[in-house]
Amino acid sequence: MIPKRIIPVFLLKGSRYFKGTNFKEHIDVGDPLSQAMIYDAQGSEEIVIVDIEASTKNRLIDTSLITKIVRKCRLPITAGGGIKTIGDARKCFDAGADKIIVNSHVVKNPDLIKELAAEFGSQSVVVSIDVKKNANGGYDVFTFSGTHKTNNRVEDVIGKVVENCAGELLVTSIDNEGTLSGFDCGLYMKIRSLVPVPLIASGGSGCYGHMVRLFNETDVDACGLGKMLFLRDYDIVRIKAYLNGKGVFARDA
Amino acid sequence: MISAFEFYKCNIDIATEPESLKDYDVLVLAGVGNFKTASEGLKKHNLWNSLNEEVVKNKKPILGICLGMQLFADVGYEGGETRGFGWIKGKVVKIEDNTVRVPHIGWNKVVSDGDTLLFKGIKDEYFYFMHSYYFLPENMDTVVATTRYGHTDIVSCVRKDNIMGVQFHPEKSQSVGLKLIHNFMTENL
Repeated sequence: MIPKRIIPVFLLKGSRYFKGTNFKEHIDVGDPLSQAMIYDAQGSEEIVIVDIEASTKNRLIDTSLITKIVRKCRLPITAGGGIKTIGDARKCFDAGADKIIVNSHVVKNPDLIKELAAEFGSQSVVVSIDVKKNANGGYDVFTFSGTHKTNNRVEDVIGKVVENCAGELLVTSIDNEGTLSGFDCGLYMKIRSLVPVPLIASGGSGCYGHMVRLFNETDVDACGLGKMLFLRDYDIVRIKAYLNGKGVFARDA
Repeated sequence: MISAFEFYKCNIDIATEPESLKDYDVLVLAGVGNFKTASEGLKKHNLWNSLNEEVVKNKKPILGICLGMQLFADVGYEGGETRGFGWIKGKVVKIEDNTVRVPHIGWNKVVSDGDTLLFKGIKDEYFYFMHSYYFLPENMDTVVATTRYGHTDIVSCVRKDNIMGVQFHPEKSQSVGLKLIHNFMTENL
């Protein structure tokens, strides 16, 4: 067994770091470089950085920002936002990213995942999927930062993504994101058996108990944290101490 | 990678010219992509033969990281059967274990015999891994450290004389990773 990974997820708009609720009402919560250095020092397992405006505005994440962070941090950096070609991905890797994260463009075109995996190795390709519960209790997949509802069920998208050799999946509940009300454990229980690669849960963490419940009730490999870290009084060191105390295997930082 | 070495005030470059390799005291071979594309890339830039010459003939110290270490093997199967450098006899195969996730991504414990210079002051620490294939050397004397993942003992560090390789990413493994890089530099510079 390997330790559960605790991953701060940074949402960028250009060069600043933002946080919202249910993918809306974003407020500026800081400078990405200084924040990354803080969570590196606290011993988070890795950091995810996504420019949430990039796909909508048809541009790529600012790769110079990736370089700035990589030069100051000693942990793996997953970066994305607006990646729609091999060339875009290469720019992120050349800037120093260890993994890339893709969403809108691969939900539309899953073949791109296979091309990225063949070029860079599937272990470097993280696919992010944003979902929202529908009236029938199922989950719909949204793209372009939650602004575009696709006609796909989450099970179908996951099937395609896995078949095309994604190395990891990060699945975010739009309903829970930024609410500090806990993870949607039902979602991860439902999809876990469909995902043979590492699965990262994201959206809703607000206290220690939410993380304990997530790791006890579901078999996810990692969790993404946002508001709980950036707008509340929590840090990675204390989170891990708490998790270990509750029998969840976390790495001592 | 570069910033991790610069942390110890080393001068480090990305070598692009085959003839420049002889000017360096030590070499680091990192890798992006898969076994096949990486070996093709080295050949395309004419670095394959110069690396062979520096490492085998001139006995220059080299540290292979992740895919860079895997290329030391005779053969790899990622992206199709491909010849490696053959510096350390063995093959690179996929992790086959349905009780764990593949790729193996995350921090895992590296267990070494503790006596080797690379692991001086480092005992049973966690390093960052990110791979689906691993190195199976023929001669177990070349194995310096292993890492348990499911049913597999992944060879996480190999060494044969001047040739050293690690499956994990020391440059991404926070303070313990820096310590390993420091050990490598201290021994070889």
